[in-house]
Amino acid sequence: MLKTSLKRALTGFFVLATAASLPFGQAFARDLTIQVWAGGSNVADAYRVDAITMAADILEREADIRGEELNITVETKYDFDGWGGFKQAVILAAEANNAPHIVVTGHGDIAPWSQSGLIRPIEDYVDFDSWPLNDLFENLIEISSYEGVIYGVPQDAESRPFFGWIPHLKTIGYSDADIRAMPGKVQRGEYTLEDVLNDAKKIQDAGLVEAGYGWYPRVSKGGDYWQFYQSYGGEMLDSSSGKLVFDKAAMQKVYEFFAKAVEMGVTRKNHIGTPWDQWYSEVASGKAGLWHGGTWHYARYTGKEGLKDFFGSVMFSLIPAGDSNGKANTITHPLVYLVTNRGSEDDAAIAAQLITIASEPRINTLHAIKSAHLGIAKSQQSVPLYANDRWASEATVRLLPYASAQPNHTGFSPYFDAMWKGLEASWTGQKSPAQAIADVESELKVQLGGDIIIR
Amino acid sequence: MSLSAKLGYVFIAPALVLVAVFFLTPVVLTGIFSFTNMSTATGITGGAYQITPSLLRDLSGNGFEKKTLDTIGTESYQVSQATLQVAREAGSHLDLLSELEADHLGSNFKNRREFERFLKKLQNRPRSTRELKSTSPHFKKSLINERFETEIDLRNSLVEMQANLSEEQLNTLIQAAYTGWIWTTDNFHKMVILPETKQILFNTIIYVTFTLLLFNVGFALVLAIATFYLPKGQAGVFRALWLLPRISPSVLYVVLWKWLTWDTGFLNAILNPLGVAQRNWMLDTTLNAWFFVVLINGFIGASMGMILFSSAITAIPKPLLYASEVDGANRWQQIRFIILPQLKWPILFVTVYQCLSLLTSFEQILLSTDGGPGSSTEVWALAAYHSALDNYWGNLQYGYGAALALVLVIIGVIMSFIFLRFFRFQELVRQPRIEQ
Repeated sequence: MLKTSLKRALTGFFVLATAASLPFGQAFARDLTIQVWAGGSNVADAYRVDAITMAADILEREADIRGEELNITVETKYDFDGWGGFKQAVILAAEANNAPHIVVTGHGDIAPWSQSGLIRPIEDYVDFDSWPLNDLFENLIEISSYEGVIYGVPQDAESRPFFGWIPHLKTIGYSDADIRAMPGKVQRGEYTLEDVLNDAKKIQDAGLVEAGYGWYPRVSKGGDYWQFYQSYGGEMLDSSSGKLVFDKAAMQKVYEFFAKAVEMGVTRKNHIGTPWDQWYSEVASGKAGLWHGGTWHYARYTGKEGLKDFFGSVMFSLIPAGDSNGKANTITHPLVYLVTNRGSEDDAAIAAQLITIASEPRINTLHAIKSAHLGIAKSQQSVPLYANDRWASEATVRLLPYASAQPNHTGFSPYFDAMWKGLEASWTGQKSPAQAIADVESELKVQLGGDIIIR
Repeated sequence: MSLSAKLGYVFIAPALVLVAVFFLTPVVLTGIFSFTNMSTATGITGGAYQITPSLLRDLSGNGFEKKTLDTIGTESYQVSQATLQVAREAGSHLDLLSELEADHLGSNFKNRREFERFLKKLQNRPRSTRELKSTSPHFKKSLINERFETEIDLRNSLVEMQANLSEEQLNTLIQAAYTGWIWTTDNFHKMVILPETKQILFNTIIYVTFTLLLFNVGFALVLAIATFYLPKGQAGVFRALWLLPRISPSVLYVVLWKWLTWDTGFLNAILNPLGVAQRNWMLDTTLNAWFFVVLINGFIGASMGMILFSSAITAIPKPLLYASEVDGANRWQQIRFIILPQLKWPILFVTVYQCLSLLTSFEQILLSTDGGPGSSTEVWALAAYHSALDNYWGNLQYGYGAALALVLVIIGVIMSFIFLRFFRFQELVRQPRIEQ
């Protein structure tokens, strides 16, 4: 009995002593573990998750100044097995109530993940009228929204340019001045997709590249191919009704363009499925004449592939227009920071604050420059690291103002699948472009019904 | 029940549990999923209720009055006694509420952003983003994009709004607002009318027939018979070599095939100097793709048949072979009249087992051609995988993928019965007459 009383007295004494030793106004410590997963990332993209760790340090210091003790442990992961592996991991973890608190993913996931309740609207936790969020590009915020609600904060931007190997262009008759003027001509619609095939043929006929290497497109499924649809005037979404749009004529022209490239011998029939490593090494060493890729390729060309004089070797511009219905364009596929339904409202609020800090221009610039992505905020043009980087500044000005995005729509996934199957089938000669379009149309009618306008 | 019978159940219990957990449960779940429209967007564990702008747009042409939909969908924020009371009960800052009540009662704001901008200008403004964000929702006077966990919550809110909805309209709206999955037979309907179904069915028949006949049974027989006539040591080495594809990790094994066939690979390194144009041999044409798909899978499958057939051949009583040699039979006659008749049951087993496993296998195709070029090597199981688990834009179609898988299970079961009947399985399991 005496022992128990003594124990209680001692415990009481220690509690009081501890409380008294705390500075006035200081609350009890709050310990929190925040998990961040990033998809589609490699070592060069590590700042997607490391920025959250840096943000945690700043948030802890801010809390300390307010007299609160906040200890945030950030657990990061970005080495997933491609996009597919990442999405499976996130979705399965979420169904088991074990999702990471923050995910960095493509904006296309916002539509299905918001419907399923996997993510919370970030506008419920952060103020887009305050710095640094009020400095973000408006079109990127729009891309991070769905049904009028802002779900995510853009993490980076990019775009998908058309590239040309300058020495080959010179050999087929372009002067230095012509090459400098080319991006402008593309933008004005004076250099079209037809010119791309003709120049690719000339490069090949001059023996500068092997057969099938004149026009050397992306080797796997990707949003890049919607650019060609826009080049022929195709629209992906009808903004007034919010429905998807399948413009048969425009899509058929895309299929015909790639089928013609194969027929002319400037693109290989079996090009899709070429290993990426092989593709990168070829385009960065002049083995291909004209191609299209992403702004982030700059890091790979000048890094691993060892291209010393990028600006002397590679011309870049928007994707040229296909005909008078369309225009030169590029697509940006920003990744976004999303807050998941994991944890309490307070956890979500802290996760959202971390995202806000990670989006400050200086921190985001670390990612933009290291991974050769484009910035998310206007003021990044004034951050020396960004402004002094020739690629970031030129690509931002030349491409980003003309960038559009794929729509956030739950039906876009089956639409994309059907479009890609049709493109592959006409490219590889399995079907004629007209037959492929007819099959895509019947598939879309079944898959999407009233969610898509077919015209 | 005798003790030994009871013990029998005890011994078999772990196996039963494993069968239930790893076979029956997935099959039952596949059956359930296949009758739903489940996808990433609907989630698996249930949905909520949410009225979105798209939903209201869809309903506007469906007998709903514009005014009614506007009442439900137009976002607005109001400072009224009612909203102040809600905010008070939720514990919002009292000074702020007093200021709102005294100076701004009756104010209306178009949207949340406008209202929050207004709040930030007040003397007793919320002093943190968290406070601002937790205060503003109490003043919302619309249901747009609000997420209700239950149907009753949404119903009550709609009734409270006095949106002038008939009972039928209320039900239609609630049903349309549901974000989760629903029961449906659409997947099977879709499967019947989609043009790609025919293609994947045709691909599956090609894949299973050629791999099974040429390699899993045919080549396995050749290997077993050839090694039977080799000296023991050499036969062992030869068989071990043919086991390598089986024991290699799939990814590594397929990467080796890719190194062999791709544009800068081994085949091109040899053929290019001889004047053969460089190409990706695996994806060059549909025929090339099938050639390699069958080869990649066949080399793995052949080893199992080889082992089974080899052991069956070894079990043939040697005197039979000696006697045939005395009678002057050559090797081919020995194979034709002694060995092959003795292999009837192993061939039955390998055919049935490998046919069923080929029907459901797709990993080597996924790793090598991923169904290409075009969809020319997309087999049924791979299509189910792509639909349910690997989709570029992220909205995985669990329901449709499960329906494809369920059809595969049904085809497998039907084929098992046909095989068993065709090969007269009853005779195999009949008790030997000598023990009767």
